[in-house]
Amino acid sequence: MTIAGARKGRPSIVQRLVGRAQARNLSCLIVPGPEVALAHGLDLAAAGMRIAATPRDAAVLVVIGALSRKLDEATAVLYAQMPRPRAVLVLGGPTPSSLPPADVSTDLSQAELIEATGRLQQALAEGAFTASPEDFDASVLQARIEYVCPMHPEVVEDEPGRCPKCGMDLVAREAGAESGATEGMSEHDHNHHHEHHQGHDHNHHDHDHDDGHQQGHAHEHARTEYVCPMHPQVVQDEPGSCPKCGMDLVARVVGADEGAAEMPLKHGDHHDHEHHEHERHQGHDHEHHHEHGQHKHDHGGHDHSGHDHGASGFMSMVEVTKDLPRSADGLAMDWIKVPFGPVFPGLPGGLRLTLTLDGDGVAEGQATSLVGMSAVTEEGAAETFVERLATAMALAPVSYRLLACRAIEQAAGLKEDPATARARACALERERIASHLGWLAQLGRQLSFVWLMRRATTLQLKTRCANREQLVAMRPALWALNVRLELTPLLKARLKGIGALPGGSHDFRGPVARAAGSAEDVRQADTIYRELGFEIRTGTTGGDAWGRLQQRLMEIMASLDLIEAGVDPGMPTLRDIGSTSGISEASVETPRGRAALRLTLEHGQVVSVELDTACSHHIGLVANLVEGRELGDALVAVGSLDLSPWEVIS
Amino acid sequence: MTIAAVLLALMVSAWLLAVIEAWLSTGRLRPVAPLLAGLSHLGRESLLPRKPDRLFFETAPVLLLVVAVLGAAVLPLAPGLVIADLATGALFVNAALAYVLVALIMAGWGPNGAYAMVGGWRFLGQLIAYAMLIVMPITAVAMRAESLLNTAIVASQASLWNIVYQPLGFVLFFIAAMALAFRAPFDLPTAPGELAGGVDAEYTGMRLAVLRLARLVLVITLATATTVFYLGGWHGPLLPPWAWSLIKTLTVAVSMLLAGHYLPRIREADLLSWCWKLGIPLALLNILIVGLMILVVP
Repeated sequence: MTIAGARKGRPSIVQRLVGRAQARNLSCLIVPGPEVALAHGLDLAAAGMRIAATPRDAAVLVVIGALSRKLDEATAVLYAQMPRPRAVLVLGGPTPSSLPPADVSTDLSQAELIEATGRLQQALAEGAFTASPEDFDASVLQARIEYVCPMHPEVVEDEPGRCPKCGMDLVAREAGAESGATEGMSEHDHNHHHEHHQGHDHNHHDHDHDDGHQQGHAHEHARTEYVCPMHPQVVQDEPGSCPKCGMDLVARVVGADEGAAEMPLKHGDHHDHEHHEHERHQGHDHEHHHEHGQHKHDHGGHDHSGHDHGASGFMSMVEVTKDLPRSADGLAMDWIKVPFGPVFPGLPGGLRLTLTLDGDGVAEGQATSLVGMSAVTEEGAAETFVERLATAMALAPVSYRLLACRAIEQAAGLKEDPATARARACALERERIASHLGWLAQLGRQLSFVWLMRRATTLQLKTRCANREQLVAMRPALWALNVRLELTPLLKARLKGIGALPGGSHDFRGPVARAAGSAEDVRQADTIYRELGFEIRTGTTGGDAWGRLQQRLMEIMASLDLIEAGVDPGMPTLRDIGSTSGISEASVETPRGRAALRLTLEHGQVVSVELDTACSHHIGLVANLVEGRELGDALVAVGSLDLSPWEVIS
Repeated sequence: MTIAAVLLALMVSAWLLAVIEAWLSTGRLRPVAPLLAGLSHLGRESLLPRKPDRLFFETAPVLLLVVAVLGAAVLPLAPGLVIADLATGALFVNAALAYVLVALIMAGWGPNGAYAMVGGWRFLGQLIAYAMLIVMPITAVAMRAESLLNTAIVASQASLWNIVYQPLGFVLFFIAAMALAFRAPFDLPTAPGELAGGVDAEYTGMRLAVLRLARLVLVITLATATTVFYLGGWHGPLLPPWAWSLIKTLTVAVSMLLAGHYLPRIREADLLSWCWKLGIPLALLNILIVGLMILVVP
């Protein structure tokens, strides 16, 4: 019995030994992310697995719950990046369609997980090597070729041809491979399986690329001007030296419409010739391509020296970087677009943050959710709707269960009785404590702050199912955590001033809004909460990442006060509503902020819903928070919003 | 013989450190864990990323290991137990460690990946800030010993360890050593939560095993350097000299690990400005104080 991701090799004694070593040294990559495992009460470290930061370092891919289509595809890429032997462990869901069949699958519970880990170890010890390994070649891994202009990065076409702006031949490249950088964990950074034919492709591209750089030929038809290499504003018609720095001015060829990039148009004949030659070569077989690659080199060298009559004697930086965007410091650098996520150790799983990096500064960024609930929901029985909503919101199931119950009961005309309402409120507050602790653990992961990660994780797992008495007994531990974080050196310096938001805008809710000083909380209007002694507390330290940390710590203690004044938390369950009809609108203060649900009930069936969540608004703040920041600060800023990609409604 | 003994000592310390590290992060003490981890890395595929710079990619882990061992080669573990007692030993430690930067730049550039590259450049950006804080405290140590011989430096501390004689130098050197070993909270080039492993993000299998080993040995080398320069080297009562070296080295190495355990990663910009604006003036002050003490105290 071998695992699907076995490595090629004859099962010998040495390999059995290695297999056993691997079985006892499991490192896993969790999809969607460790915070989802914790929200389900799964402790992978206790089951004997180490959580890896990258797929390169992982031997086991752990999939939790059902994945959305986009996340499923991203998972195939992650799997392809893992070195063999690699195993798949699926917990509480179907095996993702893009992966080979799971080696071990089981339900979502800690006991099942521990038992499954044992089986996985057995499978690895025995079947890590096989004589004939199965190939893994999911459709998402197939490269798509697109064509771009070497001078105008914004021109991207599906077909070969000329750039509409400058007329240069478009250069083929693999879709997603911008600036030639491999794109980290979530992009098409395929492994060895594809290496061979891609190498061939790339030779070919390089050839194209050189065709595109025929700038020197255009000089006869164009005007030459002289610029200073250091001061682009110094431009004159005669050679000479720069009045500012005294450097020799460098010749630059300008076409009628300005700009060196326009030139190849003016030398149509030669260019066409080159083009045909290229077409001809396309029909050749593999070996010829390699030869052509050689030829290309000569040709390239020729271009830069021989044909450069009177124009610049060297590659002028002014010319090369002329059309590149400028950083804040005025330097033109290569900007690369790098995806972070959807499975990234410093960000919530399912969130894809695409940052355009300029060095290690962020020029621009954008966040999207790969797992967000779609706005269109099929109709169905009231009970199934409650279950579906609670399951869909992996990081705050209790809050959304409560929201659904409240909305349906209201539509059915039922009044909440005070005892149930208290139990529900306490369950909501318990989830708030657990959720904020989960965020702290995530912060620990992001900042390599191991102590915080472990402490918060332990407390979160304890909180999840605790009753009132147990929660009250945790007060000293939670208070100690509070004090400890206030006193941790470097933490304030790390968070202060990062991700600052102005107060008083309508776009944000929950702890993010309250940290910025706006008194935004649904609980204020709730009579049950008033009886429990709820009072809103807003931050005084400002709406930055540090303020949000303090706000969440404060709310953990405040929620504990409410539970102490209340009753045992009781999971919301839908009361019998019969076959009533009605329309209602309910809202709940979830751990991440107000969520509102508008719902139409017809004869006990939910026919239309409209859900509005805090994270749908917060995700829009990301672009603003990351722009112009250093990479580390940008990630901290995004992390401090505590985005749950599940709660982003698309 | 000496070479074998020193290498054995390095490997044993690296193994002990790995055991303690795993103990701190998982709470379980498993002496075989590092060996199992090494064995399982060897049994896994060692993938090449697409379009790598082969030379840089292959050289980086080996270079890092060689650098760490070279640094250790001039550090005495006991009287006579040193591979090469160079006349410029103290300076050689610094020169060897300068190549840590080269190795990291190569590891950053080699795999042709954005995360790794940002990691490599981050380390480059900090280069002089770290290097000054390694070399300036060593200057003050050499001033007291009136020699760059590492054995003479240990001998100069027979009556009073440098950690007492020049505590400021010790603090600066310790912090810079931690930064040079790129351990948390100074793990800017690897930064799991920011760069998903950064410079080691693309290494797997055998190459990753070499890289991990190199990082452990680097910590041990820097801890040994701290021991030799500030903690009196092999000096100590009762136990044999090599045992004292081992105990002190491991204590320093573990305290480096612990610091990372209880602190969040430092901001890159903060580290740079603190090193330049605070660290270097303090290092100069340290040299001045030590100089005055040498003149005043006979």
